[in-house]
Amino acid sequence: MHIPDGFLSNKIWIALDVLSGTSILYAARRLHLEASARIVPLMGVLSAFVFAAQLLNFPVLGGTSGHLVGGALLAILLGPLAGFLTMATVLIAQALFLQDGGLAALGANIFNIGAVPCFVGYGLFRLLAGSSLGGSRLALAGFVSGWVSLVLSAVCCAIELALSQAIPIEVGLPAMAGYHAVIGVAEGGLTAGLLVFLGQVRPDLIKRTPDLKMNAGDWVLALGFVALPVLILVLAGSSSLPDPLQSLLSSARPARESNPDGGDLLSPSRFPEYLMAAAILVACSGFAYALARLVQGRSRKS
Amino acid sequence: MRHNFLDRYASLDSPLHNLEARTKLLGFVALTLGVLWIPAGKNLSFFAYFLLTAVLMGISQIPLSYIVGRMVAILPFVVLAGLGAPWTDHFEGARVVAIVLRSILSLLLLILLTSTTPFAELLRGLRKLGCPKILVINLAFLYRYLFVLTEEVLRMRQARDSRRIGRAPVLAEFKLLGAMLGSLLIRSFERAERMYHAMLSRGYDGDLPVLAPRRFTWLDLGFIAGVALFIVGVRP
Repeated sequence: MHIPDGFLSNKIWIALDVLSGTSILYAARRLHLEASARIVPLMGVLSAFVFAAQLLNFPVLGGTSGHLVGGALLAILLGPLAGFLTMATVLIAQALFLQDGGLAALGANIFNIGAVPCFVGYGLFRLLAGSSLGGSRLALAGFVSGWVSLVLSAVCCAIELALSQAIPIEVGLPAMAGYHAVIGVAEGGLTAGLLVFLGQVRPDLIKRTPDLKMNAGDWVLALGFVALPVLILVLAGSSSLPDPLQSLLSSARPARESNPDGGDLLSPSRFPEYLMAAAILVACSGFAYALARLVQGRSRKS
Repeated sequence: MRHNFLDRYASLDSPLHNLEARTKLLGFVALTLGVLWIPAGKNLSFFAYFLLTAVLMGISQIPLSYIVGRMVAILPFVVLAGLGAPWTDHFEGARVVAIVLRSILSLLLLILLTSTTPFAELLRGLRKLGCPKILVINLAFLYRYLFVLTEEVLRMRQARDSRRIGRAPVLAEFKLLGAMLGSLLIRSFERAERMYHAMLSRGYDGDLPVLAPRRFTWLDLGFIAGVALFIVGVRP
């Protein structure tokens, strides 16, 4: 679900970069004031934990595989702000180490996989679990928040890709949401299992942290999370599409007149041309690569 | 066990490796932005960026097989975009080709950036560029604890496998996995707490000193100037 660079239109990734960047700065500021010796090592080890957990794939239907995402779990264990910051750390590390998700699309990925699951998952869990520290109610709350947060982040991802006109909503939404609804069962199950286990062994870790009160800044942040995506929807829609929701959701499509030569671009008669272009590109790049490598290798030996 | 699977090629020796982390971060981000702003159908610009990337790849001495292996990351998105392309009228061919080319180029640039820079230097660069301290600390901890966790996982897996044969039913398997993850979490958390207190008592204040930090040299100036010239020159 990590979106690579190039798939989001500039407007969308810039907006999401700004949104995620400011929320990271805000969360860092808030936590810096409240940071105790308790939260820092916990955040560090949990970020490594989630990073490692995401490396372990388990097979899903039809040859694909999925892994734990853990946004809801982090938010439940650490509180929403620290959980969000930890998830952002994991996503930055994934972009830098594993090239999972692009640099420019980092904001979008932090929004989809960090902010949405952490805040939604936390809210849902608090709503459902109440103050229970074990038993089936805790398990149910963990499962629901894990499943919902994962599916929701897949839906966000699909909507962003559709608004960028990279992957149409008719293909993207069923593929992403359906796939993640299946993986979400494992995500929810693992979240619930871990919470129940922790509730038995270290109940202090899942106790509600008393120092978490919503202040004015938190409300502004929360409002921003609702307002900005809406703004993006409107902005992305206003210039390129006549009516974003209309053209996204309705099956009626405008005619192809706006793009006179778009129609035959995919026709089979142009395939040799494409093959030729690809061959030239590969040949020239390969030549440049080999030359640079040779020159560099020689200068290093001498 | 392998302790360097993350920044495996960061200790090679090439002009790219010798750049300062800040220079590299800014330069590659600028190049990525340049790529993202190439309009669809500007084939010459794509061509120029591909040539530049190929030259940089050659200079960096990173094995080609590694780079190709990393390209798998964008495959699902390419497939979905390709599936969607003929399906609706909005998504004409040139756009899809441009999207795929852009994503390949920016992925190549990202691979070049991250596999020519040791992680400690990258963190130092991020911190000097104004990244929040708590985020950089967290990234550093992630890197440190990852190896601790990996070893713990391997030990636990060995313990599990030596105590059973075959697989349990699905539900039991999940229970087992949850319990394993849980005890992994608790073990590593308790260890992390001990480590953190040990670090604090030895004067750790959140900054990561690097023994021999790279300095800003003429090479960096040349790189920045080259990148700027290239971006302006190829500007669509």
